[in-house]
Amino acid sequence: MAGGEVRLAKLVKAFDEVTVVDGIDLHMPGGEFFSLLGPSGCGKTTTLRMIAGFEQPTSGEILLDGKNVALTPPHKRNVNTVFQGYALFPHLSVFDNVAFGLRRQGTPRAEVRRRVNEALAMVHMEAFAKRRPAQMSGGQQQRVALARALVLKPAVLLLDEPLGALDAKLRKILQIELKALQQEVGITFIYVTHDQEEALTMSDRIAVMHEGRVEQVAPPEVVYEEPSTTFVADFLGTSNVIHAVATQATASGCEVRVGEFELTAGRGAIDARGETKIAIRPERVTLEPHGSTGPNRLAGMVERVVYLGNANQIIVRLPTGEALQALVQNTGEKLAYEQGDPVRAHLPAEALRVLADTGAAEIEEQAAAAA
Amino acid sequence: MSRRSFYPLPYLLTTSGPGLAWIALFVVLGVYSLFAISLGTPDPILLTPTPAWSPLDWSFANFRDVISGLNPSGGIFWEVFRRSFVYIVLAAAGCVLIGYPVAYYVAMYAKRSKALLLVLLILPFLVSYMLRMLAWVGLLSPDGYVNEALSRLHLVSQPQDWLGGRPSTVVLALIYGWVPYFILPLYAALERLDRRYLEASADLGAGRVRTFIFTTLPLSVPGILAGLVLIALPMFGDYYTNQLVSGAATTSMIGNTINTYIASTQQRAIGAALASTLLIFLIAVLAYYVRTTARAARAVVR
Amino acid sequence: MTQASATGRAHAIRLRLRRRPKVLTLFVWGYIVWSLAPALIAIAFSFNSGKSRSIWQGLSLRWWTDGPGSMLHNDVFRGALEHSFTLAVLNVLIAVPLGIGLAITLSRWFGRGSGAVSLLATMTLVVPELVLAISLFLLFTQLLDIVELGTMAQVIGQVTFTLPFVVVITRGRMSSISTDLEEAAMDLGCSPLQALRLVLVPLLQPAIVASVVIAFALSIDDFVVTQYLSSDASTQTVPMLIYNTARGSATPALNATATVLVVVTALLVALGGLLYYALSRRQRLGAAE
Ligand SMILES: Nc1ncnc2c1ncn2[C@@H]1O[C@H](COP(=O)(O)OP(=O)(O)OP(=O)(O)O)[C@@H](O)[C@H]1O
Ligand SMILES: [Mg+2]
Repeated sequence: MAGGEVRLAKLVKAFDEVTVVDGIDLHMPGGEFFSLLGPSGCGKTTTLRMIAGFEQPTSGEILLDGKNVALTPPHKRNVNTVFQGYALFPHLSVFDNVAFGLRRQGTPRAEVRRRVNEALAMVHMEAFAKRRPAQMSGGQQQRVALARALVLKPAVLLLDEPLGALDAKLRKILQIELKALQQEVGITFIYVTHDQEEALTMSDRIAVMHEGRVEQVAPPEVVYEEPSTTFVADFLGTSNVIHAVATQATASGCEVRVGEFELTAGRGAIDARGETKIAIRPERVTLEPHGSTGPNRLAGMVERVVYLGNANQIIVRLPTGEALQALVQNTGEKLAYEQGDPVRAHLPAEALRVLADTGAAEIEEQAAAAA
Repeated sequence: MSRRSFYPLPYLLTTSGPGLAWIALFVVLGVYSLFAISLGTPDPILLTPTPAWSPLDWSFANFRDVISGLNPSGGIFWEVFRRSFVYIVLAAAGCVLIGYPVAYYVAMYAKRSKALLLVLLILPFLVSYMLRMLAWVGLLSPDGYVNEALSRLHLVSQPQDWLGGRPSTVVLALIYGWVPYFILPLYAALERLDRRYLEASADLGAGRVRTFIFTTLPLSVPGILAGLVLIALPMFGDYYTNQLVSGAATTSMIGNTINTYIASTQQRAIGAALASTLLIFLIAVLAYYVRTTARAARAVVR
Repeated sequence: MTQASATGRAHAIRLRLRRRPKVLTLFVWGYIVWSLAPALIAIAFSFNSGKSRSIWQGLSLRWWTDGPGSMLHNDVFRGALEHSFTLAVLNVLIAVPLGIGLAITLSRWFGRGSGAVSLLATMTLVVPELVLAISLFLLFTQLLDIVELGTMAQVIGQVTFTLPFVVVITRGRMSSISTDLEEAAMDLGCSPLQALRLVLVPLLQPAIVASVVIAFALSIDDFVVTQYLSSDASTQTVPMLIYNTARGSATPALNATATVLVVVTALLVALGGLLYYALSRRQRLGAAE
């Protein structure tokens, strides 16, 4: 079962002149839990289907343990898929569904029985062997679909939004189970999702996709804490993105100007110059009373306070006209600020990132779409 | 999911190849043969039909004969065409008058009896068309039950010869033969009708009759049209019904004329041209129907 | 208006619309009697002890099994029955696989030209049968000499007009089968053709049953194409026999022959209906499609 290394090289897929996957280069070492994350229509499924063999690339290579399989039909690839709709065969029992692939390989009867039972035990579905798919809940069907793919001991398991159709609570439970399962079997998982939380909790590494391209590939905490592009910063949870002018690099980071305020950004593309964007997560912004001094502070006015339960979201209007969000933990005490109060916002240098300014257009698009 | 899947060409050819070959060989080539004969010039001596396979050999003489034959003043086909048209219109009207109330009742009012009624409506399809006509031949014969019943009721003084070439018998037989085909699609359309419109109409104070006239009837027009298309197409090619219940030349229809012309070797080319003309005429009507209903559907959506 | 009175009013309206008009009820049952009684009477006359098909003279099996003029002992009647059933079986055997294959491709391939092929495959539905019959008659007599009029030509004709019915039925079912299922089969090691055999065909079973019934019934009932493409008395089917002899001096044995046809068709349809019901229940395509 060794191996499971996947390499995509300059992978392109066009449907009738429309390029859906636009030159993807990715390397997934064997045994990794790798997620493809991105908004609807960015080409995640298409990429996954090319790896599975349901779609032929327009150009580029798909290397499976070093062998180019771009033109190999799906039944000859050592790769299995868990479909979003599960795709269990409705005319077969759970047992026969799981045994389907083994029987195709001509596995002896006794071994089929042993391995199917093993796989069903792995997903806690032994008791359901005789049921038909229509007689099970979505979560149960999902487990069977997993067993059906894993029983073949593929080098790589492809999962296309496998939890997409389940309710929030069940998703959480299955996320944990899936991750544990992956560590147990030790094979490569390539996991497609548009849910950033799902990707962040389960993955070893995440590729954030946008319009057929990969924007950033990194472990979850890096993608989350250190988004390299505006798109990534914006897509991964609410992040403040503010227009700024980078003036010079210093030992502690990059000097930027927002309106008349001078700030130091300690992270990201610190050697940037001129028009750029800086990003900071709302939970890293602290608010101070009007008049407090110190570096990395912006003046503003509280525009709105939104009660979120465990925290308060405070929207501060900056003199430049842009809005800045701050997240203040709910400690039970009364909030010190109200609508209309002038405040100072502290943006610590080590939490402030200069974005490699690639995604200027997209973020405006999204703002327009949201409006 | 409507994702377009990748299937290798050999797979597509294996599944559809035989069917496609069949259609190419028998439908396409068959219709082409019809037109080749229609457009051919019969052998000058033997008068046998000679197909014009190549467009270079096409001659429209047979079609000209058909067109001039359809001339209302003195054309040889005009009378039979007019008669067919009248019979079909009358039979179609009869189908609507009988079929609509039946379909309407089963779709709107039948509750517990619905399943039973549907089975009973489908039963005529299981009885061969010819047997259903045969049944009427027995009933309408001079010593049959129809004459017997009528004379018992003193409606006729002596047995009538119902099967001796009466247009009314032919029209009634056409209605009897085709009304089951009209009822089913109409029933399906009425069944799909959104009842909320009817409730809304009743809610606005309209009585049952007014609800029917101003709401149900207009909404069921597409279903009526679909049913009419379904029965009118075969009626234009029907030569057997009138043959069985009348057999007289005075009640023969366009199908009988085509039949006669095809049967005679010398006139086969004209028969073929008649059949081609019928085909073109019906396809044109159908295309018009499809276009208008598509437009109506768009108008409703908008 | 309060909620309660609003629902009460809606209920009253529904009731008002629902009240059954008595005249209409009577009309519908009248229609049903009218549509079925003649055939039942014709069937009853097959048991007539006299020679007439219109005057009842007592009950007997004379025209069924007993006596020289009976359906069983008359080569013309028996031959017509046998030929009808032969054609029907051949029609099923050819039209159903061809139509299902076509439908599978038409619901899984959307490339250039698929629209035209789809139109071609269903076009014969709107061609009057007489025109189709004449076309094939001319084709076989003028161009394709290898096909002689008779059984072979009749089967070809029947298959040609049965095909679109099978295609339409099967496409309906195909549209409810997600392509994911075939892809899952290939993912688990099936070649496309194995996926067809192991997944698609089992899932198409209800459509196959329906197609078999329809193909059989269409063939049994067909007259125009079958008559046009017949050769001699040996290729006479029951509908042709009825057409040729109904106005003549045929005995009630003709009614008996037609009855056999009706009974066999009805049994087959009933059986098919049950099977269809059972299959589609068993294969309810899962909740997650
Ligand atoms: N067979 C096809 N033919 C034409 N266009 C296609 C086809 N398959 C996908 N597309 C298009 O490619 C784009 C990317 O599709 P894809 O399914 O890969 O997106 P995705 O990232 O998986 O989105 P989602 O999160 O909604 O599943 C979409 O705009 C889609 O319409
Ligand atoms: Mg997708």
